[in-house]
Amino acid sequence: MPTVEQRVKEVTARVLKLNPEDIKIEHDFMSDLGAESVQSIELMAMFEEEFGIEMDEDAALSVETIGGAIKFITMVCKEQGVDV
Amino acid sequence: MRMILYDGPSEKRANFHPLSLSRPIWELRCGMSTLIEKLIAKIGATDVACFVEAYMADSYRAKTQMKVNDPATLAGDDLLIVNGRVKAVGFDVAATGPSEVGVTDDGEVLYARIAAADLAKLTTGGIEELLDSAKAALPTVTSELATWNYTWDLVLANPAQLTEDFKAAGRSGIEGNVEQPNAIRGSDKDVFIGSGAVIHPMVVIDAENGPVYLDEDVEVHPFTRIEGPCYVGKKSILLGAKCREGNSIGPVCRIGGEVEESIIHGHSNKYHDGFLGHAYVGEWVNLGALTTNSDLKNDYSDVSVMLDGRRPIGTGSTKVGSLIGDHTKTAIGTLLNTGSYVGAMALIMPTGKPLPKFISSFAWFLEGVVTKGFGRKKLYETAAIAMSRRKCEWTEAEKNMWEKIFEMTAPGRDEAIRRGRRRMSRS
Repeated sequence: MPTVEQRVKEVTARVLKLNPEDIKIEHDFMSDLGAESVQSIELMAMFEEEFGIEMDEDAALSVETIGGAIKFITMVCKEQGVDV
Repeated sequence: MRMILYDGPSEKRANFHPLSLSRPIWELRCGMSTLIEKLIAKIGATDVACFVEAYMADSYRAKTQMKVNDPATLAGDDLLIVNGRVKAVGFDVAATGPSEVGVTDDGEVLYARIAAADLAKLTTGGIEELLDSAKAALPTVTSELATWNYTWDLVLANPAQLTEDFKAAGRSGIEGNVEQPNAIRGSDKDVFIGSGAVIHPMVVIDAENGPVYLDEDVEVHPFTRIEGPCYVGKKSILLGAKCREGNSIGPVCRIGGEVEESIIHGHSNKYHDGFLGHAYVGEWVNLGALTTNSDLKNDYSDVSVMLDGRRPIGTGSTKVGSLIGDHTKTAIGTLLNTGSYVGAMALIMPTGKPLPKFISSFAWFLEGVVTKGFGRKKLYETAAIAMSRRKCEWTEAEKNMWEKIFEMTAPGRDEAIRRGRRRMSRS
């Protein structure tokens, strides 16, 4: 089973039309990966679909980096009883 | 005699969504005033109380001088209970007399006149219980009173109602300041310009085909043309608008572009160009530049509207524009289809083509799909900012009401979000 990190990178690459291998854990969604505000909403939606979770919008949209997303999603999965 | 207004059964109230999500039906407007103002004037009541859906009671209490959802108002006097959907015109029920309950064929109570002496026989704990016990214990008659059935009824009746209301108001003449050159077409008797109103030069007021009532402190900028019948509420500003016949605007609105036969509640803005026709717009709405709605289909067939996002309802009219709920905002260039339903607290980004005919409340419509967007807290923050700019307060009661509306409207919205995600995944 792919790791949370691999899945986060895959989703990010698909939404932002990037190569997953070019995405680093320290990358900032906006300044490094070029995500615009509308795309951040799309990213949140696609993360929820990928992991089968519901995220609080404010908390999710305050996440800035790939590493932050991995940490946040792992925490939400744990809270909502989703195995990852 | 005490007049009691009650805000009909939920299934009938739903026919007035999205406007009735956040207000009782009698706070909707037609002509120069609200439905409640017309009912009170017709019945001549001085003691008036009301019953609304529990979730909006606290919010509504802050906006009215009436007692709201107070069971004590159902005792101690003769009562005339009136369903908020009843039209004031043609209301011919005597306010006092022997007890009588007027019901429709399907059993909905349109009015109940209850003599104080009969109250002891009835259950007076709440309005529903009282009406149920009144139907069971008192004489009932089948009532033919006319009712408002859908929001577009109000839009379609607006031009004639404006003319009636102007006559009833009995005012004409110029109390404000009309800067020259200006042109008033038609009879001066069909124009009223309230005190504090300022009409800039190069404005045409055309009362040839209907009266024009510009209320106190209205400001009309140059190159505006106002065709009667028309009512512009207090402190509204018209900015070079092509204000076609049959509009009720305001109070405190800013209106530009072309507007025809539309009703716009207070504190809503359509500052820029773009066409709005046969529309009903709630309060605190902002329509971005070039927002345009269609109100006529290319084949001239009757317009249908989807109030629940699933089932089209025929309006029986070839001209129906958009129904737009409170606090909704459209971005520049938004195109709304004929008979569109745009829920309350929605945020619309255009796609370059006409939007779907149903957009649920609290939807963030982005890139052609409904999303959760930045969530409802962000929408509340925006609402609070918009209100504070006009020295109005976003209260806890207001927030609690909208929280409930969010919950009530979740099923349709969640389904749209799921559909949107499927589309996002495919793209």
